[in-house]
Amino acid sequence: MVVRIRLARFGNKHNPFFNIVVAQARSARGAKPLEVIGTYNPIPKRPTNLYGENTDARPYKEIALDRSRAKYWLGVGAQPSDPVWKLMGMAGLVAPKPTTFDKA
Amino acid sequence: MPPRMQSRSVSNTLLPYLTSSSSSSSSLSSIPSLSSASSQCLSRQFSATAAPQAQTKLRRQMFEWLNNEGSVFKHHVPGETNYLTRLKQRGGNEGSEASRPFPNNQHFISEPILSEELRNEVYNRVIEQKKSVRVVSVELGIDMKRIAAVVRLVELEKRQRAQGKPLALPYARAVHEMVPTTPLAEKGERQTYHEPINDLPAHPLTGTQIFYPVPESRSFDRVEAGRVFSGAPAMEHSEAAEISHPSDLAEKIMEDPNSIGWVGKGANARQILQPADVRIPHPHLVAQERDRLAHPNERRAVADLQSKRLERQDALEKERRERLQARREKKTTIVSPEESRFDYRIKDTIYTTETTGVDGRGSKATGRRYGVPHRDRTRGEVKIPTRVEA
Repeated sequence: MVVRIRLARFGNKHNPFFNIVVAQARSARGAKPLEVIGTYNPIPKRPTNLYGENTDARPYKEIALDRSRAKYWLGVGAQPSDPVWKLMGMAGLVAPKPTTFDKA
Repeated sequence: MPPRMQSRSVSNTLLPYLTSSSSSSSSLSSIPSLSSASSQCLSRQFSATAAPQAQTKLRRQMFEWLNNEGSVFKHHVPGETNYLTRLKQRGGNEGSEASRPFPNNQHFISEPILSEELRNEVYNRVIEQKKSVRVVSVELGIDMKRIAAVVRLVELEKRQRAQGKPLALPYARAVHEMVPTTPLAEKGERQTYHEPINDLPAHPLTGTQIFYPVPESRSFDRVEAGRVFSGAPAMEHSEAAEISHPSDLAEKIMEDPNSIGWVGKGANARQILQPADVRIPHPHLVAQERDRLAHPNERRAVADLQSKRLERQDALEKERRERLQARREKKTTIVSPEESRFDYRIKDTIYTTETTGVDGRGSKATGRRYGVPHRDRTRGEVKIPTRVEA
């Protein structure tokens, strides 16, 4: 059975929050995973102290990731889901996901 | 059900009143059968008497009052309130007037606020003279939190002035006239303290009543009492003998905050309650007072010692802050993808049995836990942010 690295949704209605988990591909989203290796908060936060040179700072999203565990699980063949692929690509753990434009 | 009264007949009886005010055009237009000319005819029936040519008695009295007694209120004296009640209590107690901004509410007594000069002096000392918040707080007798707030607000004001934004200056002036203010001392004068700066809120742990028998031969002071309140075992004799006064601990903890011991295990672990000498905002003032008592004739030497102590404390605090910031920055990678509207802050975390616990339910690990009740709706849970992330 395939082991996947994927997101598990927590939080309330309109207030999503994700654990980045390693789980069996066929298990339920809310089921207890093999391991939690990080979190992802999709709600953008606005940086504080917006003045001076900071005025046009972009809002940011927070990711927490245990790199060594992520590398281990990728090394033993765990497959990241598309959203996790995107996050891990930004963290530099995997090659960035090719866009449709690149494929063509 | 009996037939309802038609709404038109009702509005007809109201018409004279409606037309007397100019804003009734909308209510009139809802009645198509009546033109504006006919409504004017209706209103004339009620104003048969001619308007009086001379002033009414009340109006005449009003002008009499305005020209005699009331003339003092015509121009407002800067720095004072302009209340009518001043006539009644003329020659009364002037001192209490400043702290009671609302004369009809004697129960409201206002605390003093910072005067403009004092406020600007705070900003000047912190930003331009680069003094630490702690030193300025002691010099001017203002709480450290208030110092920080004043600096932020003056900064904001300066920025708004630079941007040409309108400021509510008349409002600020009026408030400063209403409530008492703490003035900035003249050169050579002693600055009056704005508020007590070394206050300490009661710690919740000290709320319990504990019956704790102690042998007469044993010394039992604030340090020991804190340990009892937090449920920690008594100190070793050798350890206790090193502390000659509880304020010695303040120095030690300032240098090494990790020297405070812990009680409890896992999620219940908490630091041992320290004596008030350590927890007050300015522990160095206690040390200074002890120095003064020990050397009553060497004022200069005591002052030098104190300034050295403050410098060291500031240096330590600054170093600690920078180390923390560097560690935080080292752990975080900021990625700004071209095609995205957002930055992504990727923080390194570590998941080990230490953080997650053996059963995976540990409270220290990042992320939401499995199999543990989510206590976000429990009573007393603070849900609003209590601090601002940098």
